[in-house]
Amino acid sequence: MTEIWILVAANPAIDNLVSRGRELGGQLVAVVAGDRSCAEAIAASGVDRVVWLGEPGATPVEARAAAVADLVAEAAPRVVLAASHPAERVLAGALAGRLGAPALTMVSSVRLEADAVIVTHATFGGVAEETVRVEGPVVIVDECGSVGTGLPVPIEEVTATAPPTLTVVETRMSSTTRVDLGKARRVVAVGRGLARREDLALVEELARALDAEVACSRPLAEGLGWLSRDRYIGVTGQHVHPDLYVAVGISGQLQHVVGCRDAGTVVVVNCDAKAPYFGECDYGIVGDLAQVVPALTAALA
Amino acid sequence: MKIVVAFKWAANPQEATVAADGTVDVGRATLGISEYDPQAFDVGRRLADATGAELVGLSVGGPAATSSMARKAALSRGLDSLVTVTDPSLDDAAATRTGAVLAAAVAQIGDVDLVLTGDASVDLGVQLVPSVMAGLLGWPAVSQVTALSGTPGDLRIERNQEGGTQVLLASGPVVVSIAADAVEPRIPGMKDILGAGRKQTTELDYAALSVEPLVAYAVVGRARPELKARQGKVIDGADPAAAAAEVVAALRATHVL
Repeated sequence: MTEIWILVAANPAIDNLVSRGRELGGQLVAVVAGDRSCAEAIAASGVDRVVWLGEPGATPVEARAAAVADLVAEAAPRVVLAASHPAERVLAGALAGRLGAPALTMVSSVRLEADAVIVTHATFGGVAEETVRVEGPVVIVDECGSVGTGLPVPIEEVTATAPPTLTVVETRMSSTTRVDLGKARRVVAVGRGLARREDLALVEELARALDAEVACSRPLAEGLGWLSRDRYIGVTGQHVHPDLYVAVGISGQLQHVVGCRDAGTVVVVNCDAKAPYFGECDYGIVGDLAQVVPALTAALA
Repeated sequence: MKIVVAFKWAANPQEATVAADGTVDVGRATLGISEYDPQAFDVGRRLADATGAELVGLSVGGPAATSSMARKAALSRGLDSLVTVTDPSLDDAAATRTGAVLAAAVAQIGDVDLVLTGDASVDLGVQLVPSVMAGLLGWPAVSQVTALSGTPGDLRIERNQEGGTQVLLASGPVVVSIAADAVEPRIPGMKDILGAGRKQTTELDYAALSVEPLVAYAVVGRARPELKARQGKVIDGADPAAAAAEVVAALRATHVL
């Protein structure tokens, strides 16, 4: 029977991977590098088997990549799935290296043929799409989804000989609560068009009027630090698919748009009539955001 | 003791053109050091200065990756020397091949305790190359790193992770991806650019490197990704209140609100 393996570092939200695996058919085996609570959540998320490496202790989970790769390489599955989180990417990359297998991201379809795996995925940051035929194992890094539900299966514990060269000495939790933009129905995103940090209040008021989450393009989170990193939408940030996406002062550079391409309705506010985003929106207003944004808030009242 | 900065000489896909059949042409796009890599050079230089290590740049790619422009751009960013591996077949190579060639080159360079990278390449952006390389070297990989201190072999690593930050201690060799907001990258000055011409570049022979064999695969189709059809209704906001009222009315009429 065909086996599909799912790599889990520490995040049990894998229902999208489980459905992908189910579509392919065969037995779904999850290998978990994280702690027991993660393994238990995975065991009840609709997979057929869970292989757990035991408590990681002070070893960061991705330092167990070699042990995970050993286990999966021995099982020799045709398809391996992993969520697109940083630690999961480390497991996926190390395994792809071990197997010499292609590692594909931004995947839209996967199909099994008798002697090959056919995968369609976006490339070059999302500007193009290609379909590849792989005669051998393939590692797929995909959107994760939510925590799934299913009948719990037993957890098979194996002994991992993690390299003792990497140790966690301190973990600091941030005081700000983490937002999950992936589940937001409405998002108001702001970009470099915002001249002053104080004007962020205008955007926050609009978001409140819409009951929307506030997000941003990369420079506001990583360069200026006006918003937290988990609110940054783009190719290396969050990927969102809300019903309504309002982009304020964002020109529509591809690296941003890739992160919100599946939004239902897109509204763009920008002072530059030539901004590329006006070519990819449903409704656009050409004007100064300091005037247009409060006007939108007022119109919603 | 050597610290390697693995970087990419890449085209910005923003400037790429995509034909109707999905073929990507980056021929006219400006090539440069991939947008997220300069942070790795700066972090590497500081650590090399503090520890007396040698800072070696490493780039894998098509022939352009060893052009005079590419060499100068890299060597003016604080490297002591540069190593390139180029071959026409490595142009736009996928993550597994690039990672495997980097791993083989790091092994060839020798005496390396630390490899630094950016957090994604500007062109392909798959964020898997550092971990492929680490997997093949048998080293751990750590991503989203904001600060490094200590010495390679006894290295203190600070990194972002979901919901906060974490400090790790590495007692052996490690591959570290530097977060884009770790440092504000320094722009090379005239002295750096002039000095770049006097630094050494070694071109490794791709055919002679022992790169692990890879699973064969073929591209059997290309396409432009399907974009959602959009209304494309753009209004002049000279009268902000009127424009806002029109858009809000349209959103209500289509039951978005």
